[in-house]
Amino acid sequence: MSVLEIEDLGVTFSTDTGDVPAVRDVSLYVRPGETLALVGESGSGKSTVALAAMGLLPGNARVSGRISVDGTPIVGADNRELSGLRGRTVSMVFQEPATALDPLTRVGAQIAEVVRNHRQVSRAEAARVAVDLLRRVGIPEPEHRASAFPFQLSGGQRQRVVIAMAIANSPGLLIADEPTTALDVTVQAEILDLLRALAADSGTGVLLVTHNMGVVADFADRVAVMLEGEVVETGTVEDVLLRPSHEYTRRLLAAVPRLAVGEPQAAGTAGEDPEERDSSASVVELRDVSVHFGRGRRTVRALQNVSLTVRPGETVGLVGESGSGKSTAARVALGLLHPDAGSVALFGNDLARTRGRARRSLLSGVGVVLQDPVASLDARMSVAECVAEPLRVHRRGMTAAQRRARVAEVLELVRLPGELAGRGPRELSGGQRQRVSLARALVLEPRLLVADEPTSALDVSVQRTVLEVIAELQGELGFACLFVSHDLAVVQEFAQRVVVMRAGSVEEEGPTMTTLLRPETEYTRRLIAAVPVPDPVLQRRRRASLGLEATA
Amino acid sequence: MDTALYLTRRLLQSLAVVLIVTVVVFCLLHALPGGPARGILGPQATNEQIAAFNHEQGLDRPLPVQYVYYLHTLLQGDLGTSYTLNEAVSRLIEQRLPKTLVLTVLSALVGLVLAIPLGMWQAVRRNKPVDYVVTTLSFIAYSTPVYFLGLLLILVFTQTLRWFPSQAPQGDTLSQVFSDPVALVLPVVTGAASMIAVFSRYMRASTLDNLAEDYVRTARSGGSRPFAVLWRHVFRNSLTPVIAMLGYYVPVLFGGALVVEQLFNYPGMGLLFWSAAQSSDYPVLLGCVLVISVATVIGTLLADIVQRIVDPRVKAERT
Amino acid sequence: MTAVLQTTPALEPVPGYRLSLRRFARNRLALAGLVAVVLFLLFCFVGPLIYSTDQTHTDLTQVNLAPSGAHLLGTDAVGHDELGRLMYGGKISLLVGLAAGVLATVIGTLWGAVAGYAGGWLDAVMMRIVDAGIAIPALFILLVVSAITTPDALGLIVILGLVSWLVPSRLVRAETLTLKSRDYVLTLRAIGGSHGRAIGRHILPNSVSTIVVAATFQVADAILLVAYVSYLGLGVQPPSTDWGGMLSAGLTAAYSGRWWLIVPPGLAIILVVCAFNAIGDGLRDAFDVRGRG
Repeated sequence: MSVLEIEDLGVTFSTDTGDVPAVRDVSLYVRPGETLALVGESGSGKSTVALAAMGLLPGNARVSGRISVDGTPIVGADNRELSGLRGRTVSMVFQEPATALDPLTRVGAQIAEVVRNHRQVSRAEAARVAVDLLRRVGIPEPEHRASAFPFQLSGGQRQRVVIAMAIANSPGLLIADEPTTALDVTVQAEILDLLRALAADSGTGVLLVTHNMGVVADFADRVAVMLEGEVVETGTVEDVLLRPSHEYTRRLLAAVPRLAVGEPQAAGTAGEDPEERDSSASVVELRDVSVHFGRGRRTVRALQNVSLTVRPGETVGLVGESGSGKSTAARVALGLLHPDAGSVALFGNDLARTRGRARRSLLSGVGVVLQDPVASLDARMSVAECVAEPLRVHRRGMTAAQRRARVAEVLELVRLPGELAGRGPRELSGGQRQRVSLARALVLEPRLLVADEPTSALDVSVQRTVLEVIAELQGELGFACLFVSHDLAVVQEFAQRVVVMRAGSVEEEGPTMTTLLRPETEYTRRLIAAVPVPDPVLQRRRRASLGLEATA
Repeated sequence: MDTALYLTRRLLQSLAVVLIVTVVVFCLLHALPGGPARGILGPQATNEQIAAFNHEQGLDRPLPVQYVYYLHTLLQGDLGTSYTLNEAVSRLIEQRLPKTLVLTVLSALVGLVLAIPLGMWQAVRRNKPVDYVVTTLSFIAYSTPVYFLGLLLILVFTQTLRWFPSQAPQGDTLSQVFSDPVALVLPVVTGAASMIAVFSRYMRASTLDNLAEDYVRTARSGGSRPFAVLWRHVFRNSLTPVIAMLGYYVPVLFGGALVVEQLFNYPGMGLLFWSAAQSSDYPVLLGCVLVISVATVIGTLLADIVQRIVDPRVKAERT
Repeated sequence: MTAVLQTTPALEPVPGYRLSLRRFARNRLALAGLVAVVLFLLFCFVGPLIYSTDQTHTDLTQVNLAPSGAHLLGTDAVGHDELGRLMYGGKISLLVGLAAGVLATVIGTLWGAVAGYAGGWLDAVMMRIVDAGIAIPALFILLVVSAITTPDALGLIVILGLVSWLVPSRLVRAETLTLKSRDYVLTLRAIGGSHGRAIGRHILPNSVSTIVVAATFQVADAILLVAYVSYLGLGVQPPSTDWGGMLSAGLTAAYSGRWWLIVPPGLAIILVVCAFNAIGDGLRDAFDVRGRG
């Protein structure tokens, strides 16, 4: 028997703007001990299916069809019945560990609450169980950590606490909604290992909701692909990922950036070294830059002696995990942050010593694209006004007609239809917005483009288009690019050189293929090993060799 | 983190605020017709007397010098002498302040005890009839001038129903005030009304914010019943920002006390202040302003500290 | 590094302000408030043209009359027709309230925007001044002022504006702080755009909704404050009057049963203040901005 059975599920949300169907005719099942991955892009309805299985849909949702968890129907069940199931028969792990826990309650107490919801045990006993659970999910010093508040734990540890709550009563079904999306890759690998071990131990069925094909390849037995509220393809992980039958799945997989991983035997052939190119001129150069925030005991050293060079026409990938200082370094390069020590040279001029008119003309050679597609554009301006803003700052002599013409030109460059010029940013999709940002960055024909995680908020297929546009334009216009990203696969495809950062310092740097295939430092090796590749066979082999390495 | 550091910083900030208040009061003192000399010599003094006094006391010297002198007298606890009551202002305030504190603290407690469950109830029943009714009532309570509300209460509960007296308890000591609790009912209710309105709104908004938080979903997916989630998690999280608002509400409470004391003839600082205004007793007026402001600053500080105790999270850089 | 993931599809085909307008129009309480304000404005400013009464001369033959056909709301202690007086006093209450509320918002906006954008020590000093202002209860300051001087309507507007700009300044400062670290402002600064452009083109236009909401609440509070001011003896002097003045003049009469002297002005104050609060509430929800709870 299946632990989860969904038949002909339909979910419709009634909103301000009318009814929005989110899920149609979805049928799927999860057997004990197996992991079903539910994959799809944003808006595909995969999270809605997960919430429906928990009976946690918001009040404006209308549900049709049948869902049963361990034989008990969920649709139509009342609060009392649902409370009896949740945490005992079915549990859930959420995407955002930062907000998933009550900030004012100690983590031990939050776990104990789930225990006591379903077991008649004393407070002291529940507290003991909570400590045991913390130990099982790999929290060091669990007796001590049980009395910590969530803010005292790291993101990965918080996610472990959420998992501890989820497995507190050994449920038959675990629903994990993007459980590692908010985490760094190394932490993601640890959490996936933990979930795998727990599921294998107890024969728990797992419904894994994710957009990340690498995670699917690493973790799932079977896969269901969702598109616009419907399941378009189901099958074993090998079938779906390696031999996709549906057109959409094929497109989706083609769009996924793949990290080329150095097979151990392939190592040894030395590639050509682009370092040899003439290194006389640099577009931007950070020399021994240090930045710290705060004062006294609370000082955070965001950057320590960071040196970094971008040469004309080249793309430098700046990679690292959260808190590594990669975005801070980009902000220093842009002159938005003043370094406490060291210097920044932009087009050969010292940024700190250039003021007024000279500084402005220097900065006119820079284009910027930032991560958040929503916050990057002022919602009160039209697309044309957004794109024209740099012209208004630097080309004051331009007439309105000239500006209009130039804006139309750049919009065409980034492959946006001209009609969009009059629209507001709110009317655009995320990918369109990022292309508007790109158009704004390119309108002055900059010599340097600084892109801080320009595609990490986008779906893979959209990411692919935006990256292609940037690469193509770079070939045409010849600007240099400082590309900040946490995604090694994207950087590998996109950058000629890569700089790996860790805890505010440069860990190592070099030509992309050399550095990412034959990393010199242990940290980079671990970073690369933690990235799951979207090929179940290859990923299994990598995991096995990694396991051997770890035990050796 | 370093609670000591935080406390020191907050205390220094409060000190700066008090200093600015003294500047304002000092400016008001000099804006008086005749200036501070008139304030000390009284309304009967002639212009010659005032000129002589000004020279003698150094009041013809530059204002910054005078301000330092003024601060010096304040530090000695000298707030001047009332011209109508012929007593040290500090002494008068010492007698009256505790009574005003009793009135305001009682009003605040009554207000909070009613407002907090009311606001939570509204949030849980959002956009249901209860929510609309309470919202409308709180709008009305907020919009009614305190003296009008007090008058209506007197008309209903004193003149018509004869349940409560229209005069607050009299007497100089606190025990005399507490000896007649029935007489405290109307003043306290009048003072609490707008507080109920304001804080039920705050609590409603705060609860709504928290009900939408992820941790609520986590608790529910662990099998906690809706009421348990509300009581164990949402309540405390919703309360913390409301406590912070309490600090900003202290001056409003004192403003309310001013009217309530006058209306119910309650012998606190508000009444002292009121009668001083009628007789242009400037030393009393300015002394009261200073003391009330310092009380407000202390109230805000306390609210901040309480919030910090309730909420263990590090509040990074709050200015 | 978070992927955008919604449980409900984000459908936002309509531009922001039209959506806001629609949300506002669906808020029945807010609409009722809007209608009430319009009716009161008509009543006070157009009403006297239709229902004309003598509000300057006393008429001792017509004092303290109960409501009747001749005087719909009766007459007061010096023989003024109460209904006409309600219109006449309402003009002052509404004018002073609106002007003082707007003045307070303007001062508060400038102060808060400068403090928030400048940051650092200037921000610290400016906000301590605001704290000090908040620490001195407005009613106490007003009573001190009333002991010193008796202002006219214009003076009243200035005084009320000066004691009530503090709350809007805090709101605008908070808004400025978030806006100045928005990506589009950072992008502008990174390519060499000036502070002036950042403030003028991005920060102020995007604070408009916060400011409008603050102003609405500020007007409500100012109208209430005008009523207190008369009670404190600082209000406009007879024969001119406002609702607060009528209310406090009628207080003693209420004990002897002349309800028509206090109920109409009292209700008028409550209704108008409620109306502005309801509008503010509706606007805040419609714009989805933070403000007074």
